[in-house]
Amino acid sequence: MKTYLAQRLGIAALTLFGMSIVIFVLLRLAPGDIVDILFSTGGYVNPSERAAIEKELGLDKPIWRQYLDWLRNMATGDLGKSYRYDLPAWEIIRPLFPITLELATLAMIVAVVLGVPTGVISAVRQDSMLDYVLRILSLAGLSMPAFWLGMVIILVLVAWIGWIPPMTYVPATENFRLHCIQFALPALAVGYRSSALIMRITRSALLEVMREDYIRTARAKGQGERTVIWSHALKNAILPVVTVIGIEFAFLIGGLIVTETVFNLPGVARFLVQAIAWRDYPIVQSLVMFTAAIVILSNLAVDMLYGVLDPRVRYGSG
Amino acid sequence: MAAVSGAGSAATVVPAARPSRAGAGTTLLRFCRKKPLGAVGGFIMFLIIFTAVFANVLQTQDPIATNAADTLARPSAAHWLGTDHLGRDIYSRIVHGARVSLLVGLGSTLVASVLGGIIGLLSGYVGGKTDLVVQRIMDILQGLPLLVLALVMSAALGPSIPNVILAISIPIMPRAARVIRASVLSIREFQYVEAARALGLRHLRIAFRHILPNTIGPFIVLGTAQLGSAILVEATLSFLGLGVPEPYPSWGRMLSVSAAEYAQKAPWLVLFPGIAISLAVFGSNLLGDALRDTLDPRLRGA
Amino acid sequence: MTSFRIAAVWAILGALLLGPAVPAVAQTPTPGGHLNIMLREDLPQGFAVHETSTISTSFPSMPCFNNLVVFDQLKRTESVDTLVGELAEKWSWQDNYRNLVFFLRKDVKWHDGKPFTSRDVKFTFDMLREAPDAPAKLRINPRKDWYANVEAVEAPEPYTVVFRLKRPQPSLLMMLASGYTPIYAAHVPPASYRTSCVGTGPFKVKEWRKGEFVDYVKNPDYFVKGRPYLDTLRYVVIENRGTRMSALQSGKLDVSFPGEMTKTISEQIKKAVPQIVVTVVGQTVADNIIMNVKKPPFDNLKIRLAVSHGIDRRALIQAVHQGGAVVGAALPPKPWGIWGVPEQGLLALPGYGKPADEKAKARKLMAEAGYTVEKPLKVEIATRAIAIYVDMASFVISELKQIGIDAALKQVETAQWHAMGTRGDYQIGANLTGLGIDDPDANFYENYACGSPRNYSHHCSEQIMKLIDQQSQEVNLQKRLELVLALQKRVEEEAPRPILDWKLDYFTHWPYVHNMIPQNNIYNYGRMQDVWRDK
Repeated sequence: MKTYLAQRLGIAALTLFGMSIVIFVLLRLAPGDIVDILFSTGGYVNPSERAAIEKELGLDKPIWRQYLDWLRNMATGDLGKSYRYDLPAWEIIRPLFPITLELATLAMIVAVVLGVPTGVISAVRQDSMLDYVLRILSLAGLSMPAFWLGMVIILVLVAWIGWIPPMTYVPATENFRLHCIQFALPALAVGYRSSALIMRITRSALLEVMREDYIRTARAKGQGERTVIWSHALKNAILPVVTVIGIEFAFLIGGLIVTETVFNLPGVARFLVQAIAWRDYPIVQSLVMFTAAIVILSNLAVDMLYGVLDPRVRYGSG
Repeated sequence: MAAVSGAGSAATVVPAARPSRAGAGTTLLRFCRKKPLGAVGGFIMFLIIFTAVFANVLQTQDPIATNAADTLARPSAAHWLGTDHLGRDIYSRIVHGARVSLLVGLGSTLVASVLGGIIGLLSGYVGGKTDLVVQRIMDILQGLPLLVLALVMSAALGPSIPNVILAISIPIMPRAARVIRASVLSIREFQYVEAARALGLRHLRIAFRHILPNTIGPFIVLGTAQLGSAILVEATLSFLGLGVPEPYPSWGRMLSVSAAEYAQKAPWLVLFPGIAISLAVFGSNLLGDALRDTLDPRLRGA
Repeated sequence: MTSFRIAAVWAILGALLLGPAVPAVAQTPTPGGHLNIMLREDLPQGFAVHETSTISTSFPSMPCFNNLVVFDQLKRTESVDTLVGELAEKWSWQDNYRNLVFFLRKDVKWHDGKPFTSRDVKFTFDMLREAPDAPAKLRINPRKDWYANVEAVEAPEPYTVVFRLKRPQPSLLMMLASGYTPIYAAHVPPASYRTSCVGTGPFKVKEWRKGEFVDYVKNPDYFVKGRPYLDTLRYVVIENRGTRMSALQSGKLDVSFPGEMTKTISEQIKKAVPQIVVTVVGQTVADNIIMNVKKPPFDNLKIRLAVSHGIDRRALIQAVHQGGAVVGAALPPKPWGIWGVPEQGLLALPGYGKPADEKAKARKLMAEAGYTVEKPLKVEIATRAIAIYVDMASFVISELKQIGIDAALKQVETAQWHAMGTRGDYQIGANLTGLGIDDPDANFYENYACGSPRNYSHHCSEQIMKLIDQQSQEVNLQKRLELVLALQKRVEEEAPRPILDWKLDYFTHWPYVHNMIPQNNIYNYGRMQDVWRDK
């Protein structure tokens, strides 16, 4: 087990390394850089001033040099200085994480609470009208653009109740009730989508398991349907569900980006979009590496969990 | 634009994967009866493809023409779905938006599938160290969340339809490679491949003539599954301002600026493009599900 | 006696009847309270006003700073007559507008407690004009050319500053009043203004939460006693336009952002909230067409004139701004500005006659150049990839189609726009330009002078340069006005940069906000010193 973990961590490190190159290069491929944007806020261009700023920010060095400098700084925990804000990147990003984390967690809770039970019901009542309805609802959730769902929610609230959710961030310490309402809506919007995926996986996993012999045996033995489902089927179906939950958490960020934009929440995801527009390399690089690390680590955690939950899974030359 | 016509694709695809001599029509009917949801999905896709192909005929006005006198008009006989803030007919814009969404969706899915397919095919067939390296590269591309990668690529490449297609297909490509590779790995050891090798056939020939046809099934399933994803990413990119540029009407962009600004006064600006996107993705998902169930029951659990 | 009594009765009746209708000026301002003010994007470079040219920096920075002089914040118009002193108590022109002397206030302190002296003024302007011995340098210096005519800035005494000019330039005083010309502190590095603000103004920056808001708190040591009235301000960043409007309508925002409110939206809000106060002012921001005269086809004057004739300004104002803009030439017309060509004068310029006639003229010109509607001239029209620009460009495209020009839209990212213009990497473009002040010098040197980086048309005309320099030195206001009118006619006739319209702002605030008076230029108000609110 330990060697497997070490192996996986090694591969993870390599993958992160590769990602760092990809993101570093891609960013610099984008037309325009921070200097262009600074000049555009100034409304003019000037080549000599441009050269001076490039030198100040270290952008005049060859790309591989910049990359190595960045890696070296990352290793010492220095994420660099934001090009736009002239402040250390970490200082700017730090207050944003809790908001995104809170939203992501709430969304995941919504997703699991909505997704697993509906998946179970759908599987148990396979091919019934209820099953069809639930499947269509969940597929609808997967089909709707996350940002559109957010906009429709706001529109419906305004049209039916004449009330608009708070559009500037309300910290929990300031007004707890309003804060909860403010987070509930985007959590629902993002969670609905994820719940659809979880529902589908739960359903298909449960269906697979229910076809197994030992289920038939249990039924033949006269055990109640509920016991069959809960004690036997679900326990074994839980694995792929957990996998998906783990993976979804990491991939939530896509939905979070647009939802934070629509609901005007000052989180990390929304900030990423702005930072890309500003070609604020230190910020974008830091955020993307964070995201990548979370994705890889959560994949790893899920795999490890897999091993714990299912002793049949072997490690080694996997 | 990829010239695919709706009903034909479902009919021509199924026989290729299952070498049955049944007529196309009978297969189609059987499909509809066994998988009603899939039939609905197929029908929706057919409608959308039809709309995209015949956009010029189906439109009621020029989608780009502005009309100051009639901005933010409610849906009426003159403007079936109302007008936007510049007086442009929303119905015609949605009709033309189908072109863009399909073009980008199909385009990126195709590019991703073909590129990924080739990579997966070769990587799985050759195996060994090459396989390992290629897999790590795929991991890297897949490790970055889809939207984030598409965002950065889109910013890197700039706004134009081919660039958007590329920006969306690169993040999707690893999935295609993975699926095809898995398929290749399972087929590689089959007897007839061994036999072919024993006969001294060149590897490339084996790869393309024997293995490839048997990956068509997963290919199609993957394609339809990713089409919905691609359409959604395009819409999101357009919403964020990074997708297909003016003047091409894009469903996603119709939702970004004008909709947000006038949403309360003219909710139809928000509703209709969103419904269009959802319908397209819904249809492709339904069809994809049904095709997957039919063509490759092994993958049902995925 | 009787007439006196009668008069007294009328006076009392009058006071009773008119009393409630008398405007806020008669009410006594109550100190205290908080205001939420709209921002449409986060400050691009913090409070570094001298390193940016955008209202997103200047407006939220106004409460922090003071100028030498400013336009009276309680008046709508901006002119020499409405100048009032802030850091300067008195000033005078000497030597026939060649020297400008300021006598500064002696009781001003910076927000960090240090005293304000003439050294700070000399520091600021030496830095701005990039004097060879300037102690500091700006990383980006967009308004360097405003001070091209300044020979030296002297601080002979701690509270006296002298601007020595190379030749008379009455406009210099106006430039000092712009919201773009605050005074920096000499004892902090200019770069520090990107993250924080050391100013002398009525409010101190309490906190800038990036992407969310800027919090201001009252400056207890402000040199105007009894001001500011308000305790705190919060400039709230809301990037989504619909969300901004909802916030304003629901009272979560008290004041709109300059230049943000269009006619349609303000009408919408007024309908929903009838008591909200909407004031129509000019923005001193113009839609215009830039044409690269250095490359074909727009090196051909006939084609340029055809473009100018072919675009129906009034239809554009209807289509794109729903009536929320006015026609005008190179400077905003009365009552939105002082120097603009009056309506009758416009009729003589290309593009302002009857639309059918103008289009016919345009087609004739195009035919002379060899193009017709059937065989059109194919060009690429560039514009910034922002909704307001794209809408305008879309309209222009449909207009040009009718006179024989087939223009394809090319969207350029904001970051590339100015570079594209300065390099001349385009044929024709749909542009938006704001003027820091309603002043001929500010406008013409920037946009029409030979060699100016913002002269995107690269049009260099000896006649025009002569007129620009001539009016710049003319100290007699009437004579200068005539010269400026002639200059405006000339530039429209040479048509490198036809003006399409001057935008209006439907500035909106809630009725409990008093003394929040917008001016006819979005860049020069917002000091918030005299603004107060009902409890």
